[in-house]
Amino acid sequence: MAEKYPVRMGDGHFVEMTADEIRAHLIEGSEDAADRGKIAPLDDSEYDFLLDLFTNPARVVGVPQGHEVVLTHDIGTLRLDGDQGNSGVGIPLSRLQGIQVHERAFAADTMELGHVDYSWKPVKPIIAQEQQVLENVLLSTIVPIFYGAMPNLGLYYAPDGPFGNPSDLLPMAKIDEAREAQELAVEHAVRDMVYVATKLWDVGGDAINFDTTGAAGDADFKATLHAVEQLKDSTGLAIEVGMAGEFILGMHGKLEYEGTRLAGLFPHDQVKLVEKAGADIFGPVVNTNTSRSMAWNLARAVTFVKACVEASNIPIHVNMGMGVGGSPVFETPPIDSVSRASVAMVEIARVDGL
Amino acid sequence: MGVGDPYGMPIAHGVAAGMGGIRTAGDLVARMQLAQKMRISEAKAFVADKLRISVQDLSDVTVMREIREDLDIGVITSVPGCAKGIEAKARIADLLGIKINSVERLKRKLSGPTRD
Amino acid sequence: MNEQELMEAAAAAIVAADEEKAVDLARQALELGLDPVKVINLGYSEGMKQVGDLFERGQVFLPEVIIASEAMVAAVDILEEGLPEAEKEKTAGIAVLGTIEGDVHDIGKGIVATLLRVYGFEVHDLGRDVPLDDFVAKVKETGAHIVGSSALMTTTMVGQRTLEQKLKDAGLRDKVKTMVGGAVVTQHWADKIGADGYAEDAQEAVQKAIEIAETMRG
Repeated sequence: MAEKYPVRMGDGHFVEMTADEIRAHLIEGSEDAADRGKIAPLDDSEYDFLLDLFTNPARVVGVPQGHEVVLTHDIGTLRLDGDQGNSGVGIPLSRLQGIQVHERAFAADTMELGHVDYSWKPVKPIIAQEQQVLENVLLSTIVPIFYGAMPNLGLYYAPDGPFGNPSDLLPMAKIDEAREAQELAVEHAVRDMVYVATKLWDVGGDAINFDTTGAAGDADFKATLHAVEQLKDSTGLAIEVGMAGEFILGMHGKLEYEGTRLAGLFPHDQVKLVEKAGADIFGPVVNTNTSRSMAWNLARAVTFVKACVEASNIPIHVNMGMGVGGSPVFETPPIDSVSRASVAMVEIARVDGL
Repeated sequence: MGVGDPYGMPIAHGVAAGMGGIRTAGDLVARMQLAQKMRISEAKAFVADKLRISVQDLSDVTVMREIREDLDIGVITSVPGCAKGIEAKARIADLLGIKINSVERLKRKLSGPTRD
Repeated sequence: MNEQELMEAAAAAIVAADEEKAVDLARQALELGLDPVKVINLGYSEGMKQVGDLFERGQVFLPEVIIASEAMVAAVDILEEGLPEAEKEKTAGIAVLGTIEGDVHDIGKGIVATLLRVYGFEVHDLGRDVPLDDFVAKVKETGAHIVGSSALMTTTMVGQRTLEQKLKDAGLRDKVKTMVGGAVVTQHWADKIGADGYAEDAQEAVQKAIEIAETMRG
């Protein structure tokens, strides 16, 4: 009887699979990405590498010495002081202390400051506070500091914002109204993001992170690209654009940037526009399917990200987190899965950072 | 990287594939990615060249601990007298030949009262 | 045009979101004396299925899905003239949807609501941040076949478990099937709380809802 190996499912639970079954899942996952993204699947040596990772009995695996990459941190200190169901561990630290803990105790290469709402719009009325927290952080830390938040165009639609909600309008077939609301939201979001980021640059900020871009669809992505463009013209901020999902959801469907329709773009196409807008780092996302094995999911994620790395001229820091980048949808991620995903992204996709 | 508890996400990734922050040369390599959009191999080669060490040494704590102390660019443990915070960043900017915004702001402050 | 050609043309008209063509073909079908139910199921619905597949693959987008569904509705309106009275009011099923109280994420749930309407469901979308008692009241009021709840946060997904209990307390649990979804929700969670269905994405949610509704109608 063939030997069986423990492989996790996309929700984190273990199943047992033979080497042949694992390999079949790897191929199927990679070919799914290749088919959807119209990109090349992995080759035999890459399947062999992934198979070795999954059949390796070690609890934690790592890249060879000298292959390490830079880590950037979405969500920032919220993972320490957060206590609102956001994977935070609820330690009552100041954000300055949280950043220092990451720098000195977790050996973070970079760190991120963010507000508990974690969207750009609500930062606008409290920008003076955010500026001063950032000033203090910049005085007492060494690593590059990002300020991170989500474009979150949802906050510009009813009931949170001034414009009609496409999620309400579209089911009523009010397509023109839904599209107009999104176009108006883009204008307002760009203005807010540029305002806030410029204030952060003024007090010495190194970089900003547009996190979970595209969460509200193609308008969300368009707003981010225009904000990047304006900020690169007017400030020296380094800018990371991280995505929300593997393809741009077409809530509008017709929005374009520099002549390219945004809806439906996969990571290797997204990065070209992010690069054109002037951003410095791109964070592609590939979602985890909880009903599939991690062999299927990781091979699929690596296939998409490898194509993105090859298409890019700027550093790629792949999004690795709960339910993305070949990690299970589980809030306290199993370290065997996380470390395997790390190694696969570095050794096969050749990412510049995580 | 993003959502997940600290042990499960940043620490696990750090152990598996991270540069090592100010234990090693992680912050320096990150600076070059931010300042000049350098891909990882280019950024590592650039920093290694500046430090006159091999690329592999960049993430070797035994090599980098001594270099960081010698260059006074900040170390991870508490050592009296070693450059802290913006002091270390000012020296890093000089070492790498890049501008760091907060350091530039400090220079402006030192040259006269400003409120920018 | 024979029956097979008309079916294929009807499907193609929906994929192309060509309402004028879809309506014209519906008229032709009646003139040819074709079975309207067959034309709907094997022609227009097949087109809508193709649109759904393209949507799931990111090749067509929500507004286009809606335009295609409008074309289908217009064609079905014509074909209904040839249907017996009992068939005219038939829906695929009745669904109550909402995002659990405390959770304001509504894009995914909105897409599911839209697609269910497209596939002929009578949908009662309660919106976001919906008190659990409102789900129960709407199920009771509408005689829904399915109640779908969405949660995108670990703090709100527990409301899906409470909803199961509230439906039991109201004596409704054996009359309605429950479906759960949202970024943090998994099949394991659905099994744990006793929900009847879970889906990875909107398209799968619709397929499962169709299967569940068919089972309930016997």
